[in-house]
Amino acid sequence: MSSHAFFADSATMTRRSLRQTVRYPVMMISSLVVPIILFLLFAGVFSGSMKASVAAFAPGTSYVDYIVPGIVLMTVGYGSSTTALRVNSDMTSGIMARLRTMRITRTAVLTGHVIGAVIRTLIAISLVLCVAALSGLHTRADALAWLGLLGVISLLTIAITWLSVAIGLAANKPEGTSGFTLLVQVLPFISSAFVPIGSLSGALRWFARNEPFTPIIDTIRGLLLGMPIGHSGWVAVAWCSAMALGGYFWSRALFNRGPSR
Amino acid sequence: MTAMTTMSGMTPADGVDTRSHAWIHARIMLRRNLRHLQRYPSLTLMVMLMPLVFLLLFVYVFGGTLGSGLGSGTPVGVHGGRQAYAAYVAPAIIVMAVAAAAQGTAIAVAQDMTEGIIARFRTMAVVRSSVLTGHVVAAAIQTMVGVTVVTLAAIGVGFRPHANVAEWFAAIGVVLLLTFAITWLCVGLGLSAKSVETASNSPMFLMLLPFLSSGFVPTDSLPTGMRWFSEYEPFTPVNETLRGLLTGTEIGDNLVISLAWCIGVAVLSYAWSRRLYEREPKAG
Repeated sequence: MSSHAFFADSATMTRRSLRQTVRYPVMMISSLVVPIILFLLFAGVFSGSMKASVAAFAPGTSYVDYIVPGIVLMTVGYGSSTTALRVNSDMTSGIMARLRTMRITRTAVLTGHVIGAVIRTLIAISLVLCVAALSGLHTRADALAWLGLLGVISLLTIAITWLSVAIGLAANKPEGTSGFTLLVQVLPFISSAFVPIGSLSGALRWFARNEPFTPIIDTIRGLLLGMPIGHSGWVAVAWCSAMALGGYFWSRALFNRGPSR
Repeated sequence: MTAMTTMSGMTPADGVDTRSHAWIHARIMLRRNLRHLQRYPSLTLMVMLMPLVFLLLFVYVFGGTLGSGLGSGTPVGVHGGRQAYAAYVAPAIIVMAVAAAAQGTAIAVAQDMTEGIIARFRTMAVVRSSVLTGHVVAAAIQTMVGVTVVTLAAIGVGFRPHANVAEWFAAIGVVLLLTFAITWLCVGLGLSAKSVETASNSPMFLMLLPFLSSGFVPTDSLPTGMRWFSEYEPFTPVNETLRGLLTGTEIGDNLVISLAWCIGVAVLSYAWSRRLYEREPKAG
């Protein structure tokens, strides 16, 4: 099949994904609610007790500034559950079987989901950043840093989305995706999202230092607040690329199986 | 005589007064609810898991930072962040366990209402209120089990209560009263919900309110508007009372305020639930 057909079919499927978002906005809104409530809770309630140790960790940084990167990452995580559920409902409701019988590029369905998810997530993150700006976020990012942020966040979204596509394909029913969703939602808590890693002890500190979300959050934080990133940037890009490729090939393998299981 | 009117439609055996009927039926309904809890342990587990996860998260992940930022709220006789914070947050986790269990009650009541079993009971010679009483007493038992588990877990992560026997009993009394208040409120929410999903979502504010109380951080660390809210919302006096009873901090007038809140919410919710329950069931 020609590459032209692939792009045309992917565009059609992306349009389908975006139309789902427009017609059922509740799903996107509900995936935004939790990150925003968490942000308001931590920024409003806990910041008084947290700010001293955060100021010691990064002088001149308010607690609102400190947690925004973690909230951005959580927005991606919560959004991915929508993708997993949609892919799963495509598989279980028979539309995928129908599309397989038609003359379209096979993977275009999945590509459409991923591009749709990236657009959806970027809009959600813009909304989250607006809430953060209203709550006193003080960015020190220049144009180049914003470009970098866009890149890192897109890469992260592509990575998490391909993984959630694979999970949606692998699960036999919608509940089957909840394990992955939970993991993506819980892991940010045990990272540098809300407290500096130095305040954790023992095994938790080791875990937080080595889990994939910490370098990603540190990279976003560095770009957003003009702090040194160190080698976190490369580690973050490596983790994201690995997750994206792993999710992509896993999805491909699952998708190319026969529809009957 | 109101009891007799609710009993109309049945033929009570001579000489058996209706009060003992109410008692027997309530016990049967309690057994029904306890059996539900026993047969679907996953609901109880889910309900207990939430406060336990919050306990571990707040003590181990945020505890070091929050503990060193406690300031005036630092419990007496404890130094260092995590240990101090475990002592500080334990009462809030107990309160959350009560709220989480009540959420389960709202779901159970809504299930009863939407599945038609209540409609069935209404046609039978069953004292009406016994269904709700059964739910509440079963919920209280479940909650106390949950509270015990959560308290032991808190002790496991470094909470060191130093209450004497009288203070322990007083603390249990406060928790029980809180349980009845929140449970009756959730029974009302469960009755008023049109679907089980609504019933599982509407008590969410009960899980959120403890976060906005003095339970997780001292109120004087909050920004002005939030501090005002936090000082006047019901979970703050309950928290402070439990904290005082278990760890010996100043209670002041918090005990009286807590009792007033709990009794007020319990009585109003009881009346509300009764009224919702006495309504005629809608067709469909």
